[in-house]
Amino acid sequence: MDTLLLARLQFAASASVHFLFVAVTLGLVTLLVGLQTAWVVTGNPRYERLTRFWGQLYVINYVLGIATGIVMEFQFGLNWSGLSRYVGNVFGAPLAIETLVAFFLESTFLGMWIFGWHRLRRGVHLALLYGVALTAYASAFWIMVANSWLQHPVGYEVRDGVAHLTDFSALLTNPALWMALGHVVSAAMLTGGLLMAAVSAWHLSRRTPDHALFRTSLRIGVVTAALAITFVQGFGFAQFGPVGAVQPTKFSTNSPDADALVADWTARFGPGDYLPPVLANVGLGFMILIGFGLGLLWLLLPLLWRDWIIRLRFPLWLLMLALPLPFVALILGWIAREVGRQPWVAYGLLPVDQAVSPISPWLMATSLAGFTLLLGSLAVTNWVLMARHAARGAADPALGRPPTQPPADDTRPEPAFT
Amino acid sequence: MELAWYALLGLFFAGYLVLGGYDYGVGLLLARSADADRRRAALNAVGPFFLGNEVWLVAAVGILFGAFPVLEGELLAGCYPAVVGALTGVILVTVGVQLRSRPDSRWARAGWDRVIVVGSLLAALGWGIVLAALLQGVPLRADGHVAGVTHLFTPFAAAAGLAVVTLVAAHGAAFLTLRMPAAEGDRLRPLARRLVVAALAAITAATVVGLFSDRVRAAAQRPVVGVLLAVLLVAALLAAWTALGRGRAGVAFAATATALALPVVLVGATLWPYVLVSTVEPGASLTVADAAASAPTLRLLGWLALPLLPALLGFQAMCWWIFRGRTDGRAPVYW
Ligand code: HDD
Ligand code: HEM
Ligand code: HEM
Repeated sequence: MDTLLLARLQFAASASVHFLFVAVTLGLVTLLVGLQTAWVVTGNPRYERLTRFWGQLYVINYVLGIATGIVMEFQFGLNWSGLSRYVGNVFGAPLAIETLVAFFLESTFLGMWIFGWHRLRRGVHLALLYGVALTAYASAFWIMVANSWLQHPVGYEVRDGVAHLTDFSALLTNPALWMALGHVVSAAMLTGGLLMAAVSAWHLSRRTPDHALFRTSLRIGVVTAALAITFVQGFGFAQFGPVGAVQPTKFSTNSPDADALVADWTARFGPGDYLPPVLANVGLGFMILIGFGLGLLWLLLPLLWRDWIIRLRFPLWLLMLALPLPFVALILGWIAREVGRQPWVAYGLLPVDQAVSPISPWLMATSLAGFTLLLGSLAVTNWVLMARHAARGAADPALGRPPTQPPADDTRPEPAFT
Repeated sequence: MELAWYALLGLFFAGYLVLGGYDYGVGLLLARSADADRRRAALNAVGPFFLGNEVWLVAAVGILFGAFPVLEGELLAGCYPAVVGALTGVILVTVGVQLRSRPDSRWARAGWDRVIVVGSLLAALGWGIVLAALLQGVPLRADGHVAGVTHLFTPFAAAAGLAVVTLVAAHGAAFLTLRMPAAEGDRLRPLARRLVVAALAAITAATVVGLFSDRVRAAAQRPVVGVLLAVLLVAALLAAWTALGRGRAGVAFAATATALALPVVLVGATLWPYVLVSTVEPGASLTVADAAASAPTLRLLGWLALPLLPALLGFQAMCWWIFRGRTDGRAPVYW
């Protein structure tokens, strides 16, 4: 058994599970901000119910985002100790910033948001959700800064075999960064919007109670997903230029640029196989196919007129059938990006075999099997719970449920530190 | 600069042990309550703080990576089984607490509660062993890597792991006497006192084993400081015991919190100026300065941390303030 291969498999597995959940988080939180703002501004109880129902699904989904995220963070040190040793001075900075700027506040705000219903003033409670959303975007931004640096290392200089930071602003203007960030964020919006549309479609097709409620969220979901897919396509095609320029071996392995680069690497790092496996680009093709397919969402928009989308019924079924597609595309896209930069952890700077920890293969295999089983079964459990809660409807979600006992005359809790 | 970041790393890890510590303590205590409503009430006493507590660990590891990259790689990879165990525990607790009330059936909830108990145990044990591993030195070779993981399996590591488990349990009980409705808090006080006594015994045992261990004696750069801090730890626990006896739940909680922060201070101060002391190759030992990121990185992070730190601590303090006081049975329950 090969420690390197096992470590790569472990990263691929845990990152994939992480992304399936955080994409939904990022998409849903944006929609929730809209729903709760509408509730606070208009005072219309329908928006409160929508916020509670979708908020409940969001919070359940969030659990696995945290659990897998923590595994990812530790994995750098556990399995890729060479990464911190050789490029930690540069790569570590955006990750440290991410934890402090984003995660720390995000979790603090979310805890207060969940427990703050009926306890905080409405404006404060809404502000907390804005805080959660902003920090979620901040985390997506900083992780993409870190990942783009691995795709295309910039702003550093190597002294004594170790990379040192010379220009932090170069990390923020990385050509591998901005189009990818736009693509990831719009893919998350697409996923969130389609999830909302598909769950609503299920309720409408079954004629469950709360027709008006799910009609509203169906419309929000369909419009969001349609707008988002256009941005996904735009940012997607826009990536080929800058990424292809900085990574000549990624999209076509036999161009003159790629040959020159491989010759240069062979001279500097010794002979080896410097081309990524072909598998990477197969996935890319499928993703683009899914991207075009989902472009058909625009055809549903005219059907929103007079609720034809509900009355015709088959559009509802199409939405439900389409739900898995963005998730498949998400994983394929990441595999294209990550496998396409092989055999480098940091492109042209640090090969994977130098970055992997000198751990015995047995230990690595145990940890791979253990975490894959653990995260896999937690992911399935989480989806089952989400599906059940989605099916249960908006009658009485636990999130934001009014306190059971009516408040006594004294509403102030007795302080404990006396 | 390195010292400031080292202190900050210590602050966040100690903060995690104190705050995450009572989550795990409450988690361990679920094992003895057969009454489902009681278990739920205990978890909701942690309620709004839960997510904000565990994120101290995420931040500590972020600082470890950003400011001490070399230490990050060697410490985590070098203590692989202990870190993986702790990590598994952290995941089980975070998932268990947040998902336990989502299914309706009582047996499903009871099952999740068992998951929380196991997770709490693993997390406390794992971090205790990691702290012990630092204190007893690691087989750091001249090439900068830690050789193997068998160095973790020593009596001292076992004693320290156990000590952290008992500390966490006592701390969780102290938290509940402070936070649960007054009647329930009083009911828990005798248990909390017994747990403090158990923690005292375990800490004393770990100290004695440590004093007899050649590796710990060789690794300690300032043994006197180490012993003094261990005595302080014992004093904090005695204070908690007395305060619980007099019904001063706030003081007792402050004392057990101090007792959980002290091991981090103890490890840092006893090894200073080293962070990783090598047991096989004296020249390979890693000082705090060696382990730190280079100056431009630390400067960049420093400018960032300066305005950020007050905001981070301020929002956490806001959370504690908003949700201060005892739970009253009519607060919304969610976990
Ligand atoms: C809902 C998901 C989804 C859909 C429908 C698409 N993509 Fe995508 N794609 C992603 C989700 C995604 C992603 C998972 O978010 C990736 C992985 C890394 C990244 O930046 O975005 C990605 C990566 C990615 C890359 C690789 C960038 C690199 O290697 O650095 C390219 C070139 C494209 N996409 C292009 C497209 C095109 C032209 C699409 C359709 C017309 C498309 N994607 C649809
Ligand atoms: C969340 C979405 C992501 C997915 C699905 C993903 C997927 C993958 C895959 C498939 C691999 C294995 C590639 C191979 O060995 O052939 C990998 C490796 C890796 N990825 Fe990602 N990745 C994601 C995000 C990130 C981000 C944001 C970072 C950095 C901040 C990152 C850092 C790494 C590292 C360090 C490795 C191991 C070294 C290597 O094999 O190149 N990944 N990832
Ligand atoms: C493009 C890829 C990624 C995106 C967009 C992303 C986004 C997010 C988001 C939005 C969250 C909040 C939790 C949730 O929403 O469920 C989160 C959690 C987390 N992520 Fe990622 N992430 C990515 C990759 C990574 C990688 C590579 C790491 C490893 C360093 C990582 C580490 C974490 C951690 C530690 C958490 C938990 C924070 C907490 O406790 O609140 N993420 N991620």
